[in-house]
Amino acid sequence: MIEVIDLEKTFSNGAVATRVLKGVSFGIAEGEYVSIMGASGTGKSTLMNILGCLDRPTEGIYRLNGIEVKDLEDKDLSRLRNRQIGFVFQQFHLLGRSSALKNVMLPLIYADDYPEDAEQRATQMLQSVGLADRIHFRPHELSGGQQQRVAIARALVTHPSIILADEPTGNLDRKSGLEVLAIFKELNRQGHTIIMVTHDEATAEHADRIIQLKDGSISADRKVAEPRNAANELEALKSGEGDQ
Amino acid sequence: MRLTHIVNEGFQSLGANKIRTFFMMAGTIVGIAALTVIMAMGKGTEEKVMERVNNFGVRVIMVTVGGGKGHSPPQEGVTTLRLEDAAAIRELVGGETEIVSPGLMRRAMPVKAGGSQTQAVIHGIEPDWHDAWDWHNRDGDPISAEDTATMARVCVLGKTVRETLFGETDPTGSYIQIGEVRFMVKGVLESKGTSPMGTDFDNRVLVPLTTAMRRLFNQDHISYVRVKLSDPAQLEAIGERIRALLHERHRIRPPEEDDFAIVTASDIAKTARGISGTLSILLVALAGISLVVGGIVLMNILLISVSERTREIGLRRALGATQGDIFVQFLAESLAITLLGMVLGCLIGWGASTVLGKLLKTPMLISWEPFVLAIVFSLLVGLFFGIQPARRAARLKPVEALQ
Repeated sequence: MIEVIDLEKTFSNGAVATRVLKGVSFGIAEGEYVSIMGASGTGKSTLMNILGCLDRPTEGIYRLNGIEVKDLEDKDLSRLRNRQIGFVFQQFHLLGRSSALKNVMLPLIYADDYPEDAEQRATQMLQSVGLADRIHFRPHELSGGQQQRVAIARALVTHPSIILADEPTGNLDRKSGLEVLAIFKELNRQGHTIIMVTHDEATAEHADRIIQLKDGSISADRKVAEPRNAANELEALKSGEGDQ
Repeated sequence: MRLTHIVNEGFQSLGANKIRTFFMMAGTIVGIAALTVIMAMGKGTEEKVMERVNNFGVRVIMVTVGGGKGHSPPQEGVTTLRLEDAAAIRELVGGETEIVSPGLMRRAMPVKAGGSQTQAVIHGIEPDWHDAWDWHNRDGDPISAEDTATMARVCVLGKTVRETLFGETDPTGSYIQIGEVRFMVKGVLESKGTSPMGTDFDNRVLVPLTTAMRRLFNQDHISYVRVKLSDPAQLEAIGERIRALLHERHRIRPPEEDDFAIVTASDIAKTARGISGTLSILLVALAGISLVVGGIVLMNILLISVSERTREIGLRRALGATQGDIFVQFLAESLAITLLGMVLGCLIGWGASTVLGKLLKTPMLISWEPFVLAIVFSLLVGLFFGIQPARRAARLKPVEALQ
């Protein structure tokens, strides 16, 4: 599904050229749950932007479902993002003046054909992330965890082939973070491909595989022997609270 | 349709910051309101001009005694215009259908009847005066050719004089005294009311020209000659020929000052149009400036708004918006602002026209043209000043916008 071969990205700022990605290669198959891990400055955000078709590589090949991204025009890149990729950001990035429902419907207006059942679809997505009773709430009326779940619903509404999550738990407390990770796990179980970028090893271990970045190169690419289970941890957390 | 939704996104953002939206609209509101008022004023003035031309007589040349420019009343005390001049003009104009009507007027003459007394304007006229001025009797008989020939002491009263001297009773056959001379009342004129300047047209007494010259004022000169042509196209040409004729008869060599003035209907239209024309141009320029300034304000606030909303733009891009989509959204926002401003501007302009018209006693005529212009102008302003911010928004790199 994803093929990355010798990917390089160089940012030039005047005379100074910084090589952020120095030849990265990996593949991700459909239905995988992968964490891309690394400290800040290791190029993981850059990699994530390229995987999300928000940026183009300087050198190397990135194929998404067989489409070579490097030479695409803005219009085709936009269409690719709209159809293939569901983004979940650390800062949620919801439109503050729109309801949860409108936020979830937002990607649909950029689809080639606005679906007749847009509102139904968005409602369904919100239900699936447990926000059926918050449909008409605005972001500021929701908790951080709820906002992130709205963002996940938004990412899912176009039925993308990949969910691309950039530090999705970075702005959340432990419990909300686990809720989000539990949703990812469930989505993955349903067959969604999920790529999660994080600097936190504990978070990364919820995935089945970790690609470790160091200084612009892959330092490790390993299976997680025993992926953590967010749902169980959440249960434990709740009962722990109950004990006290 | 995809476009509809994206345009709608642009409209939606207007409600987000109402005060800012208002400021962005302000220039358009003021400009369009000014435009509406200006057009109403211009139209009103033009209407008034046409009314004045019509009052003056569309096919008329007035030759009045006394020099000076413009449409001034005859100067009393200048004695150079004679009946012979009128005869010469009649010969020059020729034709059976053309009217050349000499007249004499004297203001503030005491007029008495029974116990009542008033002051009126006395007009010495010939019988074709009625046709020359399109002004006929309401009651009784007009001044006849026989009256002029015999220097009859007869008169026709204007409505005001009749009312002052006779009240509601029929004055026909009664006598009045003008100065020291007794006149028999033959009839009463139709009412023409009051001029915009406040002159009462009905405060007049018509007497035969010969009677006025010989029996009343004992003078050889007349006040004016009114020429009414059948073909208005000839106005200026004939006017110039009359001027040349009078130069010759009065032995005036330009640049010596004329002792008469010639005013045609086209002169009146020209001066009046000139005034309303320059006024309109001036005020339209004013409206244009406020639209441009308003447009610049709009553009700058939009630019600020674009830099404030980079995250929103980045998000939309990530969700699949193309550069074109973002461009359309921001342009739609700009257009929505100016079009909304236009609607408010039109309403305010409409209201202001009505109020100003009453306050300044200026004629105002509200017509459809300013509204068409308003739509065109606001679209232009919205497009022109919206393009730059929209382009900047569209060119933001999604990666940078999201950070």
